[in-house]
Formats: sequence, C-alpha cells, structure tokens
Amino acid sequence: MGRSGAGKTSMRSLIFSNYTANDTRRLGATIDVEHSTVQFMGDLNLNIWDCGGQHKYLDNYLNEQKENIFGNVEVLIYVFDLETAHREGEYSLYDECLVNLATYSKDAKVYCLVHKMDKIPDQESKDNMVEMYRRALAKRSDLFKPEVFGTSIWDNTLYHAWSQIVHRLVPNMAVIERHLRNFQRLTEAAEVVLFERATFLVVCQMAADPNVQLNKYMSVSQAIKYYRNSCIQVQSPFQSLEIRNKSFSLFIEPFTKSTYILVVTVDREIEPAVTKANITTAREHFNRLTY
Amino acid sequence: MNNYGSGLNGDGRNNSVGLAYGHEGVDETGLTTETGSAADIRQNKGEEQLAERRVLFMGMPRSGKTSILSVIFENMLAYDTLGMLPTLQRTMYTMMVTGIAVYDFPGIDEYSETQYNSQSPEVYEGEYTSLVYVIDSQGDIQSSLTTLLSIVRMAQSVNFDLPINIFINKVDGLSDELKQDIQQDIQQRVMKNMNYEGLNSAYVQFFLTTIYDETIREALSRVVRRLVPKYNTLETILNSFCSKSSLDKVFLFDIGTKVYFATDSSPTDLTMYMFSCQTINAMEDISVLCAEYVQAGDEEGIMQKTVVGMEGNTRIFIYQVNSCLSLLCVGSSQSSRQDSLLEFNGSKIAKAIRQILPC
Repeated sequence: MGRSGAGKTSMRSLIFSNYTANDTRRLGATIDVEHSTVQFMGDLNLNIWDCGGQHKYLDNYLNEQKENIFGNVEVLIYVFDLETAHREGEYSLYDECLVNLATYSKDAKVYCLVHKMDKIPDQESKDNMVEMYRRALAKRSDLFKPEVFGTSIWDNTLYHAWSQIVHRLVPNMAVIERHLRNFQRLTEAAEVVLFERATFLVVCQMAADPNVQLNKYMSVSQAIKYYRNSCIQVQSPFQSLEIRNKSFSLFIEPFTKSTYILVVTVDREIEPAVTKANITTAREHFNRLTY
Repeated sequence: MNNYGSGLNGDGRNNSVGLAYGHEGVDETGLTTETGSAADIRQNKGEEQLAERRVLFMGMPRSGKTSILSVIFENMLAYDTLGMLPTLQRTMYTMMVTGIAVYDFPGIDEYSETQYNSQSPEVYEGEYTSLVYVIDSQGDIQSSLTTLLSIVRMAQSVNFDLPINIFINKVDGLSDELKQDIQQDIQQRVMKNMNYEGLNSAYVQFFLTTIYDETIREALSRVVRRLVPKYNTLETILNSFCSKSSLDKVFLFDIGTKVYFATDSSPTDLTMYMFSCQTINAMEDISVLCAEYVQAGDEEGIMQKTVVGMEGNTRIFIYQVNSCLSLLCVGSSQSSRQDSLLEFNGSKIAKAIRQILPC
C-alpha cells in the first residue's frame, strides 16, 4: 500500500521478478490490485497484493472494498514516498488504512518503508529522516507496532528490509536457526548464511553483529542475482560456486529445495572436500526440517 | 598546457609539446596512469620514453576515446562518462605484466589538424605499435574519415605496416541491420580511399563497439593481442591445455581491465566472452565478502581458485596466475575426479605463464 508513484511495483519487481533498478523505469501505473503468488521457502505461499496508488483506487479500497482488501491480511507493507508534497495527507491515509486493518485483521504485522532514500545524500540526514518517520508513526498507531525501514532500489537497503520481513514470516525459523547454529559449530565454519532460492534474500544468518554482516550478505546476494541473470542469457543456469585461496574457502551450494547455503571456512586444515561433504549430509537433515 | 598554443609558435617542426607533459601516478587499480595537472607539469621535451609496445587512440573530438579508456582502465561506469571533459594532452594507461601502454590523444579535427601534423611522427614507429581510430557512428562520418586518411598518410610514411583498427563507436541503440550497414559503408569508403592513394590496407580491421557492453573490451583485446610478448607461445600452451583437459575455451585475462591477452585458437564467441567478464565481475564482488579473512601481507600469494558450476555439467574455472593475470576456462566435466585433474593442469599452466610473462 502507498500513494501513487511511491515505488511499490518497482520494489516488488526488483525482489520477486529479477528486475534491475534500471528496468523499473519501464513500469507503468498499477491498475486496481495486482495479485501475485510467490512460492517462498518451498511451502510458504506469499500472496502479494500490489495495490494501485491512485486516488480513485485508494478511495475504493477504503470504502467499498475494505472487507475484501483488509480481510485476512498477514502483513501490511506501507510505502511512503520521501518526496511527497504533503506529508500530513500521507499520514491520514495511513491512519485510515490502519483503522480498517484493525477491524478486519487484528493480528497483522505492519512494516513501513520510507522509500527513495537515495534522494538524500548523506547518511546522517538519512538516519534523521527515518527516525522522524518512526516517531511520527509510533504516535499514530497504538494497536500495531510498525517497523520502519529506510529503503532505496539503488542500494541494498531494500533487500535488507525485505530480509527482515521475510525472516519473521517463515514459521519454523527458530528451529532452522538452532539447527544451522549446530551445523556451523560442527563444521567449524566462520560464516553460514541461508539464502532463499528464488529471490536470494537472506533468510537466516549466524553472525555476531547482524547489521554489519547483513550488509555484506546483501551485496553478495545482489551480485549473485545479477550473475544469475547473465547465466540465463547463455542458457546455462547457475548452480554452485566455490572460491578458494590461502586464507579462506567460500562455498555457495544449493541446499534444500528452497534455499542456498553459503559457508565460509578460514581454517586451512579443513579440506574443501570435507566442507562439501558436510553440506551434502546436512542437506538431507534440513530437507526434513523445512517440510 | 595546451596543444593548440604550440601550433601558433609558427615553427611547426620543433616540438612535441603535446607529448612531453604529465606525471606518473599509480592508482588503486594497480595501473599506472599519467595524469597531467597544471601544477606539477614536468617538461622533458624529447626525453620522454614511449613505451615499446603501444596502442594509440586517436579520433575526432567527442568520438568517445577517453570514455572508452576510462571505462576499461578506471572501472568507470558507462553512465558516468556523459560529462567527460575534452582531453587536452596525451594521457597514458599501462597494462601490467605485458608492458603495453595505451595512449589517449586529444581529439583531432580540422582546427587542430595543423597542430597535430607538427607532432613528431616517431609515435608510429616500431614493430609493436598499433593505431586505434575511433569513429562516432552517429556523428560526422565523412570528416572523420578525412582525418583518418591524413593520419594514415603520415603514419605509413614512417611505419608502412602499422596495424590500423577502426572502432565504430556508440553503436548502442542501433538495430543489428543498421550496424551492419554502417560498418559496410565505412569499410567501403576507407578501403576505396586508401587504395586510391596507394596506402597499405592489409592491416585494417573494423570493430563495432559501445561502452555499454563488453564489445569494447573484446575489440581492445583483439588489438592488444598482436602486441603481447610471445603471443604464439602463449597460444600454443593454451591450445594444449584445452585439448588435454577437454575444455571448450580458455582465456588469459588481465584482472584489472578484463581485457584478455591470449586465448586458444578456437573461434571466440562474443557472448561467451561477455559472460566470462560478468563471471569475473561477480566473483570479485563475492570474494569481497571474505576480505576480512585475508591476513595482512598475504595478498600477494593468494592464488585464488574459483569454480562455478552450472546446470548440465558446464563448469567455469578461474585460476589466478599472479597478481594481475587470471586464467578462465570453460568446460564440462562429468566427475569430480576430472575437476582435480583440471586443477592440477591449471596450476602447471599458471606456472608456465608466470615464466613467460614475469611480473
């Protein structure tokens, strides 16, 4: 949800349809509601409703169709355009959405993305802007506790935000996380990251300092996504990857049916073949977990 | 500071002012670039040593010479080259290991032509010199060809066998048909004029290029190939590597510029080359992730090995030969045993290449 031109369809295409940031220029306005279903983590079907942002549609959603639109909602992602002319108008629209959401699906989670952050040059004012939105929105919604992210399609902040959203959506995440930690301990790997297969979003990661690491993983997943696109052009889809040198070995392997795993080992004593064998063994185990 | 001024001295013979400026600095990509800044101009008229193996980039102003070289040597994004300032003096870019230098000349048009002619012709001398003439495919082709002819006339008076490579630049956005038409048109006109004037047209090659994809790197690779020391030996080695390890294609890449110095003698497919470039790019991006694990002082001897697996047994192997060269092989392997065999062969080949091209 969000106003016309805020960038809803752009972000959807970027994450779920392998678009590049430049490709999104071609997109036109969304008419009414575009439904799409994405298979995520194998068995999790995400129904994404991309709601057109023009006034006419918005009025329609909030009046005649409100039961249809706001019923059975698991997650509401509200996109704010940073460059909006009247911020108050945005807020009141947001309020209306939340009121409806409270009536029809109480347990929904709300995420607010302050979009087009690339228009602000320096980091400090970016942080300030997000903080400002966060405070303004916290005042407004008492029932829902919205999480606010600053995003832009031109860097990896969008992936960051979506990774967090997705992380909370996957039902048995805690179990997966525990087992992955076990796996990391047994293989003595420095880093283990689980990526979703279709979107290459980070699902689960084992780093001590999540924010610093997450940024790095985002760049990796972006690089792989671009690379996968070019692989498709030469008609040989990407499958696996290993980089080895004196200081580290890095593996990216298909893991379960819906995930890829990234393993980094730094101990030279560990033979790459051992790590690979470990991944293969763990694959069976995790296959049982995610199904 | 300016080349135009020297033409006004009246005495056109005496100087190579345009050649003598600049200071050398090593930028972070490890390439030596010569950048002239007004503050520390060093004048060593006549003393400047031209690199033995050199590529000369010439052409009309605004045909895209500096853009091409910035994209290749300084990793500039193609979109950022829009506001490029005109080049006022000759700039040099060098490729490590092979010692090939690429010279970026100021644009030549009818106003600067007289001045240009005063430039000493020694730049064209030598067996390992190659001329690249950049033509803007969407600009004034006629006058561009006139200038080309006057350059060739002068160059061939010094070095009759100078290879002439014509880059028909800025072909992005043109349909394939139109591209072919333009190339054919230019080709015919160049050949006709050169034959008419009795110039040597045996070493003229044409390339369609654009900075928005890898065609430009491919074209430069093919230009550079003739200048690479011991190219035949390299090719033989790569050929035998290819046949012994049942590979489809092997490239020897310069890591910084992604220009390939050598390849086996099977025909080079442009899409394959583009894909190889993208592979190297992606692997660089990914290995940044592990930068923190690289121990200090260890950077030199990293000798990275990368294996990318595709569906249907296709595999891409990348072996780092030394700090600036990489060997990229494309092949399909049935078993992991073959992988280790290939790895062994790869390390032997890398060793051989290190001996042929000492760092």
